[in-house]
Amino acid sequence: MTPVRIKMSKITVENVSYVYSAGTPFEVKALDDINLSIEENRITGIIGHTGSGKSTLVQMFNGLVRPDEGRILLDGADIWENPKEIGKVRFKVGLVMQYPEYQLFEETVKADIAFGPKNMGLDEDEIKNRVSECAGFVGLGQNELDKSPFDLSGGQKRRAAIAGVMAMKPEVLVLDEPAAGLDPAGRASIFDGIVKYKNSTGAAVIIVSHSMEDMAKYCDYLIVMADAKVFMTGDRDTVFSNSSQLENIGLDIPQITKVMTLLCEAGVNVSKSIYTVEDAERALLKLFGGVR
Amino acid sequence: MAYIKISDLNFSYRDDDGNFIPVLKDISLEIEKGEYIAVLGHNGSGKSTLAKLLNMVIDDYEGMTGKIEINGKDITSPEITEDEIYELRKDVGMVFQNPDNQLVATIVEEDVAFGPENLGLPREEIRRRVDDALATVGMSEYARHEPHRLSGGQKQRVAIAGIIAMMPECMIFDESTAMLDPIGRKEVIETIEKLNRERHITVLSITHYMDEAVRAGRVIVLNDGNILLDGTPSYIFSKPDLLREAGLDLPQCADLMLRLKKRGIPLEGDFNTPEQCVRSLLNALHK
Repeated sequence: MTPVRIKMSKITVENVSYVYSAGTPFEVKALDDINLSIEENRITGIIGHTGSGKSTLVQMFNGLVRPDEGRILLDGADIWENPKEIGKVRFKVGLVMQYPEYQLFEETVKADIAFGPKNMGLDEDEIKNRVSECAGFVGLGQNELDKSPFDLSGGQKRRAAIAGVMAMKPEVLVLDEPAAGLDPAGRASIFDGIVKYKNSTGAAVIIVSHSMEDMAKYCDYLIVMADAKVFMTGDRDTVFSNSSQLENIGLDIPQITKVMTLLCEAGVNVSKSIYTVEDAERALLKLFGGVR
Repeated sequence: MAYIKISDLNFSYRDDDGNFIPVLKDISLEIEKGEYIAVLGHNGSGKSTLAKLLNMVIDDYEGMTGKIEINGKDITSPEITEDEIYELRKDVGMVFQNPDNQLVATIVEEDVAFGPENLGLPREEIRRRVDDALATVGMSEYARHEPHRLSGGQKQRVAIAGIIAMMPECMIFDESTAMLDPIGRKEVIETIEKLNRERHITVLSITHYMDEAVRAGRVIVLNDGNILLDGTPSYIFSKPDLLREAGLDLPQCADLMLRLKKRGIPLEGDFNTPEQCVRSLLNALHK
């Protein structure tokens, strides 16, 4: 008999619920019976209105928050099986919190990025390699590496902080609003760095963001949260073809997708599933070419 | 007379070693009462420094040359009195990025009352201002709620109400929507527009969101401390190369339409919103 091979998800969320301030008049259900799986070598985006439970959920992936009910499985094993071992999970699952640049503290950018790998007990050469590799992902050069983190611009600081988490080579990289407050060029270099990390390591990457444009552009798979529940999952075509449903839960679709959707509704024969300006340009040029 | 007049402004910060680091260079600018201006620029372009000078959060003028006049008063003049500065600070209100850092009280209406109370106004006047401010931002029904239980957009609207209760002439929003979800952003933008339209409050909105900038009457783009562009949104977004050089980008709508125009498609009108784009595209298709 041939053994049945079951493809195992990197992270499985199984019937997870969580309540803040339980037993007080301020009790809030942050997560309500969540079931999800997160795959390797894929960028998963989590979108949802403020208070929908996104941040609570991602803080469970590396054991910062423990579910009241249900299990978080990493490579098929319950991460809370032995609570004393939860520290080991944090080497495998790297979490970049909001505004991580406030957590820089070393004398040089290089030393800051090296801090994580050093704590893992890696040897000098390996640390050096990882620092230059991960600085490269996020577009920081030798010039910046030798500076004090406090002499960098806001966008560079953010990239240094992200490189510091990448240097631990986590198998799962979770980023909560990695580009908030940055200008367009700064946003692009952060997301490009994340894509490079995924391509080079095959890690499962999870991004939380309010920018529908960025999520549509960079994510392979989307999870939509609303009111502590999973509202919808799927690839971007599936998710962003439901614009009215998304608007009902306080979200939106990318501006360019809205243009294409409105054209469709006006009877023009174009695809709604367009997320970048380049693709829209191509589709419309074809259309104009066709009528002439 | 312009409400805000900035003439030949140069401003430098002093770093830890005592060296002056220039942040704003040769800025001259006139802002009329009732204008709605979006200020764009890459991180570190000087936007926030400019805002903080106007609101007098920065009041160390050692590294500054040039002149800033608000309502005809030179705010950096050594002759200006404490009372005049106090008045000016009340006239120019500022709303910051993080809603959680701006609320001080445990009940929404007390938070809004904080400013007017400090002005020493009579009780009835405070009550009137608080009710009016909360109604203006659409938060009356939350008057007795706890601020920390509100959504991000609601918190920002309470912060705005706190400023409105001071009856400012001008409001500066320093990336006030950066941390909000799409619905929260919409609530705050619509509130800002209402304040400008109905109360004729002069608005300076610093933002990284190009789709917010297109809704202003005028857009100023800063690049490395200089004014790079100053004009209507349609004018600004017809300069994609300059914007990209300054680390900025076009709103997706304008980007698409300009690319198509470049390829010879005859598109007319403004391209600031998806609706405008679609109208223009349909017109061209049916020609």
